[in-house]
Amino acid sequence: MDPNNRLSGNELRNSIPNQTAFSHFNTQHPQKWEDPSLIDYSTRIEPPFQGFNQVKISQDGLGNEMRSTYKIQDWDPSAMLNNLSFLEQKIHQLQELVHLIVGRRMQVLGRPDEFVTQQQQLLNADLTSIIVQLISTAGSLLPSVKSTLPAAPPSVGQFGQLGGAVFPLPGLNGGVQLQNTNGSKVPDQPNQSDISANCVTEQNLNIEEHDLKEEEDADEGENLPPGTYEILQPEKEEILAPHTHFCTICGKGFKRDANLRMHMRGHGDEYKTPAALAKPHKEPSSEPTLIKRYSCPYSGCKRNKDHKKFQPLKTILCVKNHYKRTHCDKSYTCSRCNTKRFSVIADLKTHEKHCGKDKWLCSCGTTFSRKDKLFGHITLFQGHTPAISVEESKALVGPSDQKEGNQGTNKAGSMNFNFPPNATSDSGIQSIMDVKGNTDDPAGIFSPLNFDNFGGFGEFPRPPFDDSESSFAFLLSGSYNYSQKNEADDNSNNLA
Amino acid sequence: MKRQKRECPESSNPFDVLSEEIIFMVLDLLEQNPLDKKAFSLVCKSFYATESKHRKTLKPLRQQHLPAVLSRYPNITHLDLTMCSRVSDASLSSISNACRFNLRSIDFSQSRLLSCSGLLGLAQNCKNLVEIDLSNGTELKDSAMAAIAEARNLEKLWLARCKSITDMGIGCVAVGCRKLKLLSLKWCLGVGDLGVGLVAVKCKEIRSLDLSYLPITNKCLPSILKLQYLEDLVLEGCFGIDDDSLGVFKHGCKSLKSLDMSSCQNISQSGLSSLISGTEGLQQLTLAYGSPVTTSLANGLKKLSMLQSIKLDGCMITCDGLKTIADWCISLRELSLSKCSGVTDEGLSSVVMKQRGLTKLDITCCRKITDASIACIANLCNSLTSFRMESCTLISREAFVLIGQRCHLLEELDLTDNEIDDEGLKSISRCSKLATLKLGICLNITDEGLMHIGKGCPKLKELDLYRSSGITDLGILEIARGCSDLEMINIAYCKEITDASFLSLSKCSQLRTFESRGCPLITSFGLTAIAVGCKQLTKLDIKKCHNIDDAGMLQLAHFSQNLRQINLSYTSVTDVGLLSLASISCIQNITILHLKGLTPSGLAAALLSCGGLTKMKLQSTFKWLLPQPLLEHLEARGCAFQWRDKVLQAELDPKCWKLQLEDTVE
Repeated sequence: MDPNNRLSGNELRNSIPNQTAFSHFNTQHPQKWEDPSLIDYSTRIEPPFQGFNQVKISQDGLGNEMRSTYKIQDWDPSAMLNNLSFLEQKIHQLQELVHLIVGRRMQVLGRPDEFVTQQQQLLNADLTSIIVQLISTAGSLLPSVKSTLPAAPPSVGQFGQLGGAVFPLPGLNGGVQLQNTNGSKVPDQPNQSDISANCVTEQNLNIEEHDLKEEEDADEGENLPPGTYEILQPEKEEILAPHTHFCTICGKGFKRDANLRMHMRGHGDEYKTPAALAKPHKEPSSEPTLIKRYSCPYSGCKRNKDHKKFQPLKTILCVKNHYKRTHCDKSYTCSRCNTKRFSVIADLKTHEKHCGKDKWLCSCGTTFSRKDKLFGHITLFQGHTPAISVEESKALVGPSDQKEGNQGTNKAGSMNFNFPPNATSDSGIQSIMDVKGNTDDPAGIFSPLNFDNFGGFGEFPRPPFDDSESSFAFLLSGSYNYSQKNEADDNSNNLA
Repeated sequence: MKRQKRECPESSNPFDVLSEEIIFMVLDLLEQNPLDKKAFSLVCKSFYATESKHRKTLKPLRQQHLPAVLSRYPNITHLDLTMCSRVSDASLSSISNACRFNLRSIDFSQSRLLSCSGLLGLAQNCKNLVEIDLSNGTELKDSAMAAIAEARNLEKLWLARCKSITDMGIGCVAVGCRKLKLLSLKWCLGVGDLGVGLVAVKCKEIRSLDLSYLPITNKCLPSILKLQYLEDLVLEGCFGIDDDSLGVFKHGCKSLKSLDMSSCQNISQSGLSSLISGTEGLQQLTLAYGSPVTTSLANGLKKLSMLQSIKLDGCMITCDGLKTIADWCISLRELSLSKCSGVTDEGLSSVVMKQRGLTKLDITCCRKITDASIACIANLCNSLTSFRMESCTLISREAFVLIGQRCHLLEELDLTDNEIDDEGLKSISRCSKLATLKLGICLNITDEGLMHIGKGCPKLKELDLYRSSGITDLGILEIARGCSDLEMINIAYCKEITDASFLSLSKCSQLRTFESRGCPLITSFGLTAIAVGCKQLTKLDIKKCHNIDDAGMLQLAHFSQNLRQINLSYTSVTDVGLLSLASISCIQNITILHLKGLTPSGLAAALLSCGGLTKMKLQSTFKWLLPQPLLEHLEARGCAFQWRDKVLQAELDPKCWKLQLEDTVE
């Protein structure tokens, strides 16, 4: 355990200069992005994304081509070289560490899992830092990308082509391809647990996302010093399980312990005793009980214990709600507005209590959920008057647009089946399906690129890419899908 | 007639000397008969121009003529559009453009299908608009109220029966029209505490507020009662207001002069007492159809020294309650006990003893009253001007003689369904100021009595002889001779009446309402006489006058150009007569049931040509015989249809009818 700790300590120390480099790059962005209004959540996420693409290219040895093709300004190749060599060094270190672990695992099979997981966590942290550095390195290319963006269509298209050319793996969707990108970069980690290996890329993206999201409201932390509490991390399956208490005899599941005890009565008289029916007391532990805190099993999440700025969750319920809210599909849709979606049913119920009630509008633009509040407001302020809403249909415009967008995507998907059946077109379809199925999925960003690759993008005028906006997943708009549809239509016409 | 009518001389020369102001003053005196002014304006160009400048009020028949009419009359301040069942946006914009700053008052109370954009234009252009009547605008929405709110100088606004407007719309009005002095929200069922409360907070100048039948509760009352100038408050049928809320009355509204709490079912005497104790300047109190009037309730009136009028219609009243009222009120002028159960001779006499200054007394359907009370009233209340005593069945013939002997100031007397006879009428004919006399279902009176009335009451304007079967042509002749100002007469079911009566009544040129249902001897000849003589005729009911046919209709259509409402059921009129009626441009309301000679096509043609029709009562069989698109077209034009499925009924003898009536009452 000690060597490991030391190792990781070294790692951390080593990573510090790179961290500074990273922050350096980051601080550069706001200056170079001329429009200050761009500095919001979405634009701050962008650099890593674009950078990622760039890095992918340079890693594949095509960076030179990039450099020769496009004039690159404000870019220091020597700094990049430094970074890359450092990364190489670091990957080697990691390699050694994994070797060490493999060896040790052979020796101590009987050791508790705790140890293994600790090691995994260590690895995870190292990998994360490597990826962060990769991105930050790539970020240095960013301004140059931006400068070429007015003429962006060919460059974006090229990315797609490159992705397709490098990873012509049939039957894999966009997301998997990216994971494989990662896998090939870290070829020495085949033994790593599947999740951490495959999802690093996505995790990485998520790290950025969550950092940004939660830093804004990261105030609820109790600031318990690390180590003063015990961390429990329930498994994903445990969190999502509908029942948490199971009958040992018949296997029936229950949400509450009390319900299980009631059920148990049916299995015999021994379960009917007051003792059996009483609320079970926790056995007094021999050790002084540590405060229990919970970790989210989703690695890369800020609530995950491996995160740099880990913030524990207080109860198991918190974990459940957090996991569902943050890492699960929002499958409950509000039946009133049909726009708001929730992953926790209680959230939906809370929303439905207030949904549509915010209709009391004052001429000053303030809305109220209660009419008497509006009238109190009007009574108080001179010149304010109730605003008569002429159009209640406004709220309905949004969803209908979305529907159109979806239809567009669907069509695009179906049109693609007209393509000559080969491996690449298959994967193309798959990626389109992905877009359709879940536009929120970060992996979805890359599918349009793939699609371009297969659809013969060069022949069709792409809609001018508004660089910073439409090239990102969550900003995939209906109009963008529309353009895709048109292309698909054109395609099919051409083929027919 | 109050003002003297003056004929303008034939020569226009003298008028050249007169200044316009003086001619205006002359024209002011021609208000009574619209035709006079029309005649004046047709004399010459200068008269025409003068009359155009003089006219202040306008009541157009059809909206189509508005642009032309408005350009002719540039000084219109009051525009009455009650004859136009539908006012289009185009008309509204022509109004708002033509009468930009002159228009002060506009009446849409019978107009439907007003658009809010039109109203907005009106409110924005006519900056001096002070009064708007939007009553019966059931389709008006909050957006229309937002438009009205642009009329910043508005002082009076009637919104009765605007059922679709809500607190939001009223809120707009409250914020926009800060100068409001009168607001009527009767039957605005969408308006609640919040809207009314906001009105009370924002419009501090309000003097008159009608909140009848609103779903308001005690929550809005405090702010209403803080209104400094509130004088007239109507809370009729506000079921949401209860005793608890009325405690707030203790704190204020000293300016209140008139309060109507009729049909407030949830208010008992305790609430009333607390409410009454607060408002010391109260002059009028209406508590109709409320809780029983007992001593304790009447005790609440103690402090209301200014009280002049109490209306307790339909209440249960104890004898002691009446006595207490009599004790506490210092100078009661008006007392209405119509349909009150529990009014006895003792109670009524005690009131009359104390309140000798009574001018108006209503004891309709107080069936326990006997001659004793009448004697008391006649002896003590000599200043009575209005006395209503319909269906006081215990009163004998002699009592009416007493009324005539003592109450000389009577202007209105309702003796419907009483035992009065010719002697009584002879006595009553001494009331020379009598303007309204109702003698319906008085089976004991004859022509002789009417002769006295005709001679003694020259100012009579309304005479009701409904089912007074003793009346013949002679009596009517005397009335027509003596009462030339007669405006309304009802001779329904006086079966002896013939064309001779019509001939004599045709001398009453002011006649506006004529009801002669069930007079089988009347023919088209008589009707023609009325049509020729009574140019002002607006309402005509000739139902069951079987002998009236198309000839009468043709004459009527030619002469009675002011006719608005007619009932032709059971007459012998056919398609031709109905079609000719359609040429009367004012006609709005037609009832035709059981018209044998009517064909669907004739009816359709008549309906199409009656442009201003607003209400049509028809046999329901026609609903299926008329083409559906036609009905839709007429409804879009503003005509409402009422379909009736009545069966032909045999006519009863008057006495028989009365007996049957009494049976149903009991």
